[in-house]
Amino acid sequence: MFLTRSEYDRGVNTFSPEGRLFQVEYAMEAIKLGSTTVGITTPHGVILAVEKRVPSPLIESSSIEKIMEIDAHVGCAMSGLTADARTMVDHARVTSQMHAFTYDEKIGVESCTQAVCDLALRFGESVEDDDALMSRPFGVALLIAGIDEKGPQLYHTDPSGTFTRYDAKAIGSGSDAAQQSLQDAYHRQMTLEEAAGLALKVLKQVMEEKLDENNVQLARVTPEKGFQILAEAELKERIEAIAA
Amino acid sequence: MALFDQRPAYAHEPTVAPIEHRFSPYSDNGGTILAIAGADFAVIAGDTRQSEGYSIQTRYARKVWQLTDNATLATNGFAADGKNFVKRVKQRLEWYEHAHHKPMGLKAIARMIQTMLYGRRFFPYYVYNILGGIEEDGTGAVYSFDPVGSYEREACRAAGAAQSLVQPFLDNQIYFKNQTPAPGAEAFVPGRLPMATVLGLVVDSFTSATERHIEVGDGLEMYVVMKEGRQTTDLTDEGQLPAGMKVEELGSMGEGRGEKTFLVSMPLKRD
Amino acid sequence: MNHHPGAWGQPLPAHAQFDMFNPGQSYRQAPKAAPITHTQQPLVTGTSVLGIKYEGGVMLAADNLASYGSLARFRDIQRLHPLGKQTVIAASGDMSDFQWLKKELDSILREENGLSLTDSHPSLSPQHIYDFLANLFYARRSKMNPLWNAMLVGGWDNKKNESFLGFVDLLGTTYSAPTLATGYGAHIATPLLREAYEDKAGIDGKGPLLTAEEAEKVLADCMKVLFYRDARSINKYQTATVTSEGVKISDSKSVETEWGFAESLRGYGAQNQ
Repeated sequence: MFLTRSEYDRGVNTFSPEGRLFQVEYAMEAIKLGSTTVGITTPHGVILAVEKRVPSPLIESSSIEKIMEIDAHVGCAMSGLTADARTMVDHARVTSQMHAFTYDEKIGVESCTQAVCDLALRFGESVEDDDALMSRPFGVALLIAGIDEKGPQLYHTDPSGTFTRYDAKAIGSGSDAAQQSLQDAYHRQMTLEEAAGLALKVLKQVMEEKLDENNVQLARVTPEKGFQILAEAELKERIEAIAA
Repeated sequence: MALFDQRPAYAHEPTVAPIEHRFSPYSDNGGTILAIAGADFAVIAGDTRQSEGYSIQTRYARKVWQLTDNATLATNGFAADGKNFVKRVKQRLEWYEHAHHKPMGLKAIARMIQTMLYGRRFFPYYVYNILGGIEEDGTGAVYSFDPVGSYEREACRAAGAAQSLVQPFLDNQIYFKNQTPAPGAEAFVPGRLPMATVLGLVVDSFTSATERHIEVGDGLEMYVVMKEGRQTTDLTDEGQLPAGMKVEELGSMGEGRGEKTFLVSMPLKRD
Repeated sequence: MNHHPGAWGQPLPAHAQFDMFNPGQSYRQAPKAAPITHTQQPLVTGTSVLGIKYEGGVMLAADNLASYGSLARFRDIQRLHPLGKQTVIAASGDMSDFQWLKKELDSILREENGLSLTDSHPSLSPQHIYDFLANLFYARRSKMNPLWNAMLVGGWDNKKNESFLGFVDLLGTTYSAPTLATGYGAHIATPLLREAYEDKAGIDGKGPLLTAEEAEKVLADCMKVLFYRDARSINKYQTATVTSEGVKISDSKSVETEWGFAESLRGYGAQNQ
């Protein structure tokens, strides 16, 4: 893919003669190294599931946080350089609160996603008195799940700042196989329970380690209770349920 | 440079204290506005006189502005601030529609107006605002504001020069203050009056204010916002309105849910 | 009543306006010891300007005097200014602010004119110029650095084929009406202008408008009354007309006045008893 590696690799904001921004494309590659993350939309809510890589038994697995709340009705899961996601989630949280303060209503899921993507291309060589720019593109992709007046929605964002709405989407190292599985199993009238089960099954399929409540995280967004990350106990039940 | 210092009457004694002469950026342009909520409609009204002191500047200046299909705003106070504030509000509505792909709802507009007014807390817009329209749940609503952004949803509100004449009348007729239901009769519920009653109250409010307040008169504009799908016959049918009143349906302003806005206008006394 | 431009932009509670015992002062607080803070005041001032719509156009009038306080300082200044072929502005209030404004507007019009030579660039309509002035005056007042004027904008919109008449002042206050007047004229001339206008057009303005001759006559009448009553006026004025034909600014003219009655007034002029 990168046979034309050249001086256009160096400037983070320099187009190659073929019209590509290599640094952005490499950033997308970084996501393919990340842990697998899955999102599924149903008429009753959205499910997010993420693999937590726990390379050593000495790691406290609960300290790995790959699903975060943005607002009561929006959350996100990430894959790639998760540290970069903090900047984005911070921005999304502030934007959501500002919207609620200014308009006395919940921010739309798409608007929230757009707010995150507005940050994506603010990298490069900063000119004098420019706002401090980032030195490189974000190395993370997000699955943003939420519910607003348009119903349950799932968006995927990438380092180029592009966002796309999906019924079901997988990102990260196992994304190719996972996406195929989702495509085969997904149907529009899924219940939330079916979706949670499917998400776990897909993760199980692509994970090297055996799936348990310590190496996976699951969250849902429902009209009734908003965004919730599943507690370990409930997660364990669901994992046992799919094993059966 | 004391060329323009006008010696006040008390200045026959030697002037010890200097005279302060400062530009005041405000004026009061008179007029009155009023809004009443019905169950599935709202009426937002204002007279069209603009004055300064005892001078009538013009007999037709607009004080009520259609913002969206379901929201209409009335402004009163310093006319220059009013016009510029409305301009800013409309700009924000357009930005919102671009950013969020939907028209701003009534309660969102109300909150936004608060933040815009409070944003100028230390150089306020000298304007009393009343926002009326249809809420997301389909009910008629009225929001009233003070110049620095305090706001509240109400069943009715009068503001401006003749507020003190009109509001007590509305308190009695809309909120049924100092009225007692007949024994065994249903309790009064504000905000449920029929169209004809509401328009009658608005017209009576303004004709009375015109009689007793020098800054009110010339013309009356009543904007009627109706819930989508509501019968319009109680406004548009022949004979619904007294002679001399004109009804005009205003076109849709974008992608609403199908609420309709009508402009009912009539002359007021010009003296 | 205090009509002097120096009193503009000051808080004017309605009840204070007609205090005939302490004209223009009764609302002022007795000053305590405080610093003199003359933020701004007009120096060389023009008095009222008038405007009226008539059949096929709009007519403005302004006298040729620029006063320095009560001194009739400059007696041949023009307070009507054409802006392109469709618009005239008339200024009362501070004349140096008006001169600055003329320079500014002329430069904008020059630039617009340049564009129209190479392009099918639309020319600025009276409404455009009026909106620009309204925004400028409001922005300046919001910076607490006002342009100390009350202006009339008169014009003929060639696209809409209709006349335009608008008012804007140092506070950014704007309004339109078929007849307009600033300053003292708002009190003295407005009733005369409205009466003349409504006698023909009716209160709804739907009847026939005044002819150019009738409009000129009523403006002359108003200028005469203003000359009699306004101490800061002069019997030398110009009118401007804007029609679809363009802008015409007249030579200076004066009205016939009659002062004979003064002889019989006690307390006026030289009298023994």
